[in-house]
Amino acid sequence: MLRDAAALVRPPNHGMWNCGRRVPSLMPIVQPLRPTADAARFGELVGPEIEVLLRVARTLTRNGAEAEDLVQDTLLRAYRGMGGFDGRHPRAWVLTILRNTHINRNRRQRPELLRDPDRTMAELTDTGDRDSDVEHLVIDLTFDAVVEDALLRLPEASRRVVELIDVDGLSYAETAEALGIPVGTVMSRINRARQRIRDHLAGAGLAPRSTI
Amino acid sequence: MNRRTPFRWLRRAVPCHVAAERLQEYLDGELDSLSARRVKRHLRMCRRCGLEHEVYAEIKQYLGHRSGTPDPAALDRLRAFGRELVEHGSSDAASG
Repeated sequence: MLRDAAALVRPPNHGMWNCGRRVPSLMPIVQPLRPTADAARFGELVGPEIEVLLRVARTLTRNGAEAEDLVQDTLLRAYRGMGGFDGRHPRAWVLTILRNTHINRNRRQRPELLRDPDRTMAELTDTGDRDSDVEHLVIDLTFDAVVEDALLRLPEASRRVVELIDVDGLSYAETAEALGIPVGTVMSRINRARQRIRDHLAGAGLAPRSTI
Repeated sequence: MNRRTPFRWLRRAVPCHVAAERLQEYLDGELDSLSARRVKRHLRMCRRCGLEHEVYAEIKQYLGHRSGTPDPAALDRLRAFGRELVEHGSSDAASG
């Protein structure tokens, strides 16, 4: 749920305790956001990226409400960090913030997700005989349905890469930023994922067997 | 007459294994213009690779159409949140 932006950026009253006496605070005081050209730069550089952020957040979280919360946190962090941003490649910059915010949220909620995604992929792609059964089931379906089916069967890490590139329209570099992985890993995941989709189509008789 | 002239376009293309390696980058517009031209030339002259390209292009096209626009209400709320951040900073400046 969206929170009030003014309330989020308002500095807490760390110096005042319930007893009414003013005492020195032991906590670092959150500085109020300063008005500045930074605010205007935020609107100019980050504002146009909100839609991309929401698309990517939706791909990362697979949940509309969580995606909205994630983007809101990202905007807030971006606003606070605007002073240290040189203004170059704003999309890559906010995607990095989005990714870090997502990781932090996940770390708090689901620490078991910190596994190596490539290892997980290797485990999940080992489907064995199940593939041949699936091929028989989908043989009568249309091209779109088979692609959709193949996409859903991809390991999570690969599906995210496919969705970020093909559905959300990010470049390899932007996808790497969004996921915090090297560009080479993005390339290998997209290659393997599309190869699996293509093999699925071939299995359903909707594409020739790959010969190259 | 230079006998090599008719084959100049062949030398500028790339072999099958290179085209196959770079096919996904070509599809995603990630190749520099020279490499893209070379791959494109190969795909035109090699039926097998051209067919492969068509299959992957169809997959990519389907996935692209699959894209649903984000929830407009959520987008509106987030844009309003962004504006609020900007305006809050501005009003803070005016008062401070």
